[in-house]
Amino acid sequence: MTEYDHVTDDIEAIVEDTDLPRRLKEDVYETLEAKAEEYGGVSNEQATDIVTGVENRYLETRVDPLDPVGTVSAQSIGEPGTQMTMNTFHYAGVAEIDVTQGLPRLIELVDARKTPDTPMMTVFLEDEYAENREKAHEVVWSIESTKILALGDVSTNVADMLVRIDLNEETLLERWPTHDDPSEVAGIVAETIEDALGVDTRQAGTAIEFGPDQPSYRELLQLVEQLRDVVFKGIEDVTRVVIRKEQTDEGEEFVLYTEGSAFGDVLDIEGVDASRSTCNNIHEIHRNLGIEAAREAIINETMDTLEEQGLDDVNVRHLMLVADIMTNNGEIESIGRHGISGNKDSVLARAAFEVTVNHLLDAAIHGERDDLDGVIENVIVGKPVSIGTGDVDLRMGSRVTGSKPADD
Amino acid sequence: MVDVSQHELVPDHVLLDDPEEVEEVLAEYNVKKTNLPKIKRTDPAVPDAAEVGDVIKIVRESRTADQAVVYRLVIS
Repeated sequence: MTEYDHVTDDIEAIVEDTDLPRRLKEDVYETLEAKAEEYGGVSNEQATDIVTGVENRYLETRVDPLDPVGTVSAQSIGEPGTQMTMNTFHYAGVAEIDVTQGLPRLIELVDARKTPDTPMMTVFLEDEYAENREKAHEVVWSIESTKILALGDVSTNVADMLVRIDLNEETLLERWPTHDDPSEVAGIVAETIEDALGVDTRQAGTAIEFGPDQPSYRELLQLVEQLRDVVFKGIEDVTRVVIRKEQTDEGEEFVLYTEGSAFGDVLDIEGVDASRSTCNNIHEIHRNLGIEAAREAIINETMDTLEEQGLDDVNVRHLMLVADIMTNNGEIESIGRHGISGNKDSVLARAAFEVTVNHLLDAAIHGERDDLDGVIENVIVGKPVSIGTGDVDLRMGSRVTGSKPADD
Repeated sequence: MVDVSQHELVPDHVLLDDPEEVEEVLAEYNVKKTNLPKIKRTDPAVPDAAEVGDVIKIVRESRTADQAVVYRLVIS
């Protein structure tokens, strides 16, 4: 091994011969190296002692067969959950963007809600887009949805039954950076209006006028209402984008935080770093990046939620187990009546969770059987649960083997 | 379309195209193919060559060990 001066081939063989995972082996090498520096060398015997010590400790801390890992995870997440605040109204982590936190967020995650309460995305940028504020703004304008009120003033002329829009030239050029001529952009805006509202428009410079086919006061007002919802640029679901300069290892970069999310659309936009950008909707991640990415996202999100509340002493392994179970069948399943708990084989286990009567009734109608394999069923009927020593059966052979039976 | 496998949330997905390798995996865990966790054929991260019934080997950067290898069965 080249990186360590004091680790001989013998010592390397001793370490590599163990069952330790890679990372622990590296730790052992580093410790041996440090000790060797300090005391001027480590003998093979000393190394063997250290290594077997580490290995024994490692084997001890592994989960035993028949350990109820699920129950332990449930309690290890549940107990800290009782300390979480029910409602948090402050703005988390990122400036000015409100994100659901604490218990509501945790519930949202394990319930696998289709859309989170406060969807958001973290959009990283590529190369020059990340370094140059103007370039970064180009990406902002193609993400943030632009509505008419951001572009100019809308007025209604009741006498002539017309809606008149006076577009702001500066805003037009700012939001369509590839165009130089404001009236050209106004043309695009007018076309969007025609497509969306089904009316004919008249355009003069940066002013646009249109009205209902038949003179009708009601329809005129309706057109104005509809006009407010038309999206001229960007992604409809994204209502706001915050741009922030952040420190990285290589210097500074601009990062975008969005209110509202449309993960799939954003990944395709030029300038967006499609390898780092994320969102807080696990279903969108599942759809665009697959089930394994969703698993990662569930772990990250639950961990962040707990950490935010100062409950970072919950071991990741518990959260990993939750994420594993939720993604086991290839798509995201919620924990609860409509997901994991509701799909259990055992009638009694399902009935013990929620809506007891319905489950018992359905089971009776369909003539279901319960094999009493699980923990809950056996607690209900008062048998030893199939955990740890409770699952070990003692079998005695009745065959005579010739050798004398032992005295005890 | 963006290259999904480049995203940092997506671990390596490798198709096990040798039936012997699949047998080895099943023997190691002492399970049937259908006991493995599943992955949809339509999953964006599944290699194009994979078909329903194939086994995908996934190598995750683990938080607790350095690499964790898991297997998923491709379903429709």
